[in-house]
Amino acid sequence: MEVVAEGVDGKLIISVASGKGGTGKTTVASNLALSVGYCQFLDYDVEAPNSNFFLKPEIKHVQKVTIKHPYFLTETGADFSACADFCHYNAIAALKDEVIFFPELCHGCGGCKLVGPKGTVREKDVVVGEIRKGPAKPNIDFSMGDLKPGSMRTTSVQNALDKLITKDGLVIIDSPPGTSCAMVFAVKDCDYCILVTEPTPYGLNDLELSVGVLEKLNKPFGVIINRDGIGDNKVEEYCNKNYIQILAKIPNDREIAKYYSRGDSLIDYDSSWKKKFENILKGIEKELQT
Amino acid sequence: MIVAISSSGTSLDSNVDQRFGRCPYFIFYNTDNDNFEFAENESRQAMGGAGIQTGQMIANKGAKAVITGNVGPNAFRVLASTNLKVYSGITGSIRDAVEKFKKGELKEISGPDVGSHFGSGGGGGRW
Repeated sequence: MEVVAEGVDGKLIISVASGKGGTGKTTVASNLALSVGYCQFLDYDVEAPNSNFFLKPEIKHVQKVTIKHPYFLTETGADFSACADFCHYNAIAALKDEVIFFPELCHGCGGCKLVGPKGTVREKDVVVGEIRKGPAKPNIDFSMGDLKPGSMRTTSVQNALDKLITKDGLVIIDSPPGTSCAMVFAVKDCDYCILVTEPTPYGLNDLELSVGVLEKLNKPFGVIINRDGIGDNKVEEYCNKNYIQILAKIPNDREIAKYYSRGDSLIDYDSSWKKKFENILKGIEKELQT
Repeated sequence: MIVAISSSGTSLDSNVDQRFGRCPYFIFYNTDNDNFEFAENESRQAMGGAGIQTGQMIANKGAKAVITGNVGPNAFRVLASTNLKVYSGITGSIRDAVEKFKKGELKEISGPDVGSHFGSGGGGGRW
């Protein structure tokens, strides 16, 4: 089997991020994967994963993601104030005769066990989400994370996805929107980031925020403008002014939206996009080699 | 009896701060001798759980009652488990609040009166 794309170290990780939600990250990420055909695909938008609707993987492995939560042996009469002082997220209130634990604030770092009175802080596994993995056509190694409703441990689930990135060749990561921890986590190891935006003031505002993150992380990136034709020219002006490459423009087309709403791909609708996505990948490889 | 009051400043002329966990100061007023001291609320900058840490601090200072603007669910849980009396929805100066408290004019609440993150200044949504 042919390895389509090779990065500097035999692996090329491309993250697809956006800033604003709903601009077409999953559309771009899944169509890039389908166009290239041979890759690993990981859906890091674990709070709202939806790439499975477009790639239609056959899930073969399901794995629970757990973190450790503490519990406190208060009957020992021990003083747990060191645990409460240590907890950066204030998940522990150490009172005179009682310890109140707030599980939704706990990040599972295990610090309270280390600093607490010896043997009085125990830990138990708590499920925060799950990982699903399986093949998708044509030759995609698909994985997605799904955060348990109510859990705040987004990055714990993403961390479990990180451990699945092993193979050589092309790795495509579908990032969550925004510029918070979850987005940073999805782009931190990428070789290149595609930022998908729309030509609206909101799209531009969030694009600028995302660019700020990527510049801090020193990541090369380019922009795809989706729903081209709506809004204004400000995104394009911004990109030109800042020497940011516009990789493609996807037109605002009701037919594309119809395909999307059925879980069909852009390349199903217009097969010329297969070549366009292949060329985008080639361009990225070329840029990274120079 | 020591009463903890969320305060915008360090004197009795300061106003009752409407945020419990994220107020800048607490006034600890001793109703037995009418002395008071103030303390900076170190939890106000916490990323999360400010009310929890503040509640713990107040309980551990030996206060028996709290006068404030609004109390969220986590903070209330900490206060309730240490049997502190909570008087919320209070506005105006610290001096007025203490006078009303002494006269028994303040009404104790039995549950939180705002949701989580009330005092954290907007935000929310995806973290």
